[in-house]
Amino acid sequence: MPHSHIVKSFDQDLNNLRSKIVDMAKAVEQQFEKAERALIENDLILATEVRQSDKKIDIMEQEIETVAIEMIALRSPMADDLREIISAIKISNALERIGDYAKNLAKRVVVLESTKDMNINPSVLSQMISIINIMNQDVIKAYINRSSEKAISVWTRDLAVDNLYNSFFKDMLIYMMENPENISPATHLLFIAKNIERAGDHITNIAELIYYIIEGRALDMVRPKGDDSSITNVDYKETL
Amino acid sequence: MTIVKSTNITGQTAKIIADKVNVHYGDNHALKDICLDINSNEVTALIGPSGCGKSTFLRCLNRMNDIIESCRVEGSITLDGQNINSKKIDVVELRARVGMVFQKPNPFPKSIYDNIAYGPRIHGLSSNKEELDHIVHSSLKKAGLWNEVHDRLESSGTSLSGGQQQRLCIARTIAIEPEVILMDEPCSALDPIATAIIEELIEELKNRYAIVIVTHSMQQAARISQKTAFFHLGKLLEQGDTKSIFTNPTHEKTKDYITGRYG
Repeated sequence: MPHSHIVKSFDQDLNNLRSKIVDMAKAVEQQFEKAERALIENDLILATEVRQSDKKIDIMEQEIETVAIEMIALRSPMADDLREIISAIKISNALERIGDYAKNLAKRVVVLESTKDMNINPSVLSQMISIINIMNQDVIKAYINRSSEKAISVWTRDLAVDNLYNSFFKDMLIYMMENPENISPATHLLFIAKNIERAGDHITNIAELIYYIIEGRALDMVRPKGDDSSITNVDYKETL
Repeated sequence: MTIVKSTNITGQTAKIIADKVNVHYGDNHALKDICLDINSNEVTALIGPSGCGKSTFLRCLNRMNDIIESCRVEGSITLDGQNINSKKIDVVELRARVGMVFQKPNPFPKSIYDNIAYGPRIHGLSSNKEELDHIVHSSLKKAGLWNEVHDRLESSGTSLSGGQQQRLCIARTIAIEPEVILMDEPCSALDPIATAIIEELIEELKNRYAIVIVTHSMQQAARISQKTAFFHLGKLLEQGDTKSIFTNPTHEKTKDYITGRYG
């Protein structure tokens, strides 16, 4: 651990900022878990709860920004302190986006009713979500423990989410080709999958920021990238 | 002894090269094996806790330590390849080439005009009144003081405000066309506005001179210098690009110092 500041209140400010980040990360993690449950159990009450709690996440982001800007103005932080405070702003931005995706999942619970008749295997979505949940938990641990190794480990795991997303994407295209009635529910499902995949990208960004706080340089490894849905095409004739 | 020729990023040879400089005050080993290059057109900031040797090092660069009897300087310091500690060096000429500005403004108890004319007169830089006037006026302009004092050049230098006095001292230093300017905490006795004016001036002066500044303000070092050297207990622990020293110092002690931690 780094030495303590001669001005003790500086350490208090830093600790306060860190605990705000941890609180926000935990709140976002909970939002994601609840959204998952709402989806799987088709729980509209829980879905509404997730949508309403998103406002709290937004407020937490604003608080972190305010504290960080005050610290920059009043403490003139240098070196690792500076990196930490700037990164806190960026981490809170990423967390807010992940919160948005949780809210968006919750919004779509109602439309999932209509997918019941489709012969869709939803286990891919829940697999994706459970990877995200573990990534969420581990990225908080990496932040608390100041571990760049843990951060890298989270960072590499996003590949699994991307791969699941790709196969889900193809499945949905095929469903839509099979029957035009599937287009509406399959599109919603695609958005859900896309939101989960994007949440994974933001967790990856947070892992990069944690690495930067600790090591003082950007993570320069090439991230295994798996989302190739933008170049995925399924030939209609093949499905006939 | 071989002269170490180090070059800076642009491929120029450094203006001043300090190689394994050791300074003793009697039994006190104040500087230990300092190796540092000072480049022209660059501000080099020397930082570190009180007593770390940064001012001692600064004073080595124009042999201000000569005045201290118990002081012994070893190692090589070259200015344009010439050893400044050599017996052949005329110390008065050296100090004209390597000027100095001190912590407390110290104008002579003379008129503003005479404060600046003093150096050029003793170094014979002008042959008539007209030339001397020109040196005085242009030095005041370069030091950013002209507009404030042009109509009262005969009033006493000590009648000026602290910030103006410091700029008068800078004008006095540049009047004799030095190549290097050493500054020992030039703003520590000044308010933020006077400090900002001096910092703006340093920014401009660096286009003509090599500047070495000792400062206790980390923010000041970060704002005005291109290179930073961190001294600790008589050693030069870390030197490098100011940007990287202040965002990602490699030495634990440097980090503790600039972030205000117990080391």
